Amino acid sequence: MYGSAVTVPPGVLRRTDAGLEPDHTRRRYRDVRELIANTRNPTPLVRLNRVVAPATEAYLKLEWMNPFGSVKDRTARYLLEGMRARGELDGRELVEPTSGNTGIALAALAALDGLRLTVTIPSGVPEEKLVLLRMLGATVMPTPDELCPVDHPRDGAIALARAIAESPAHAGRYAMPNQYANPDNVRAHYETTGPEIWEQTEGAVRAFVAGYGTCGTLTGVGRFLKERDPSIRIVAVEPQPGHRLPGLKNLEEARAPAILDRSVIDDVIRVDDGPAYAMTLRLFREEGLIVGPSTGAVAHAVLALEGEREGPIVGISPDGGMKYASYYAELVKDGSEGERP
Amino acid sequence: MTDQTMAPDAELDCKGLLCPLPVYRTAQAMGRLKAGEVLRVECTDPGSLADFPAFARQRGYTLLSAQDGDGVQVFLLRKEPAR
Repeated sequence: MYGSAVTVPPGVLRRTDAGLEPDHTRRRYRDVRELIANTRNPTPLVRLNRVVAPATEAYLKLEWMNPFGSVKDRTARYLLEGMRARGELDGRELVEPTSGNTGIALAALAALDGLRLTVTIPSGVPEEKLVLLRMLGATVMPTPDELCPVDHPRDGAIALARAIAESPAHAGRYAMPNQYANPDNVRAHYETTGPEIWEQTEGAVRAFVAGYGTCGTLTGVGRFLKERDPSIRIVAVEPQPGHRLPGLKNLEEARAPAILDRSVIDDVIRVDDGPAYAMTLRLFREEGLIVGPSTGAVAHAVLALEGEREGPIVGISPDGGMKYASYYAELVKDGSEGERP
Repeated sequence: MTDQTMAPDAELDCKGLLCPLPVYRTAQAMGRLKAGEVLRVECTDPGSLADFPAFARQRGYTLLSAQDGDGVQVFLLRKEPAR
């Protein structure tokens, strides 16, 4: 990963059971990639104190503390490492369908590796994400929903990326990580997110909540936790058809990702946009958590589990709120700041 | 008017591209045309025979002709004046 000529300053590495590792106690790093979460450097679990009853022990796992700002940093790293190991990156450009966060993480990692990246993006992705992708040097192809009239209406970006990767005219110039079907997406969460939650709750976690998206988080974390304790409840959050919750998928209007393993999921909770955005606003104002709208949907589902289980509920907070200013402007347009100067 | 031999205002080669890439490229190319101008598109993915009529209908373009022969599909699309 790093050139052998790099001189390592003292105190940056420490010897662990796994060999030489970045010293996360000093938090001084040789490369931004060392910040991507793993069991030695987990993303924080932060307890919810005001939006739930005091007796409820519920946590959000703040995936936006990853260096490129979302849970997808883990996925992107595993996807690229797998492709590199299989020789799929040699001389190729990357193309990937993404609602933004995987693209941002892939774009950052691709830039560090000198790889070119094209991302196909469904309509309705906030402008902030498109700008970030372009800032990172990615080629962005916004994909109108009606592009694939005969296919699933919301899957145009996936079909377009596949066409770029597989068109005979491109003669194998492109490689597609394919987060929706690549087992490395699941492995990222089976090897990092799941074990982190287990260790951070000292095995006490009773329920885990995450959204239907690529389903890498649900399948990977769900599988890991079920192997540890089959009575841990795995809950999927699903938005309504026509929703406005980037990163989440309604599985009636979008095809179920190949990596989704329904056998690890106990319940599916449907969340409307209204309650999801209302909860997002409460998380900002009552918990001081600057989160994206999918976190609002997850937290809304966490509340639905209140009182059903003794012991910690853990929900995934996939990304932070900074990228969604253009969405949130609507929530605060009536000027709840009042008339004070 | 629907003759395949009429001179188009622009041409697009989508041979060797899989659906929906030809439709995507065509949407971009139509955006560059002026009202009344005609685009000629050549494709080799048979799926385009279903995609182009649906695409033209959704976007309000006139599909002047669609021909399929020797594994190549040729479409003539006209951008109509805004009403």
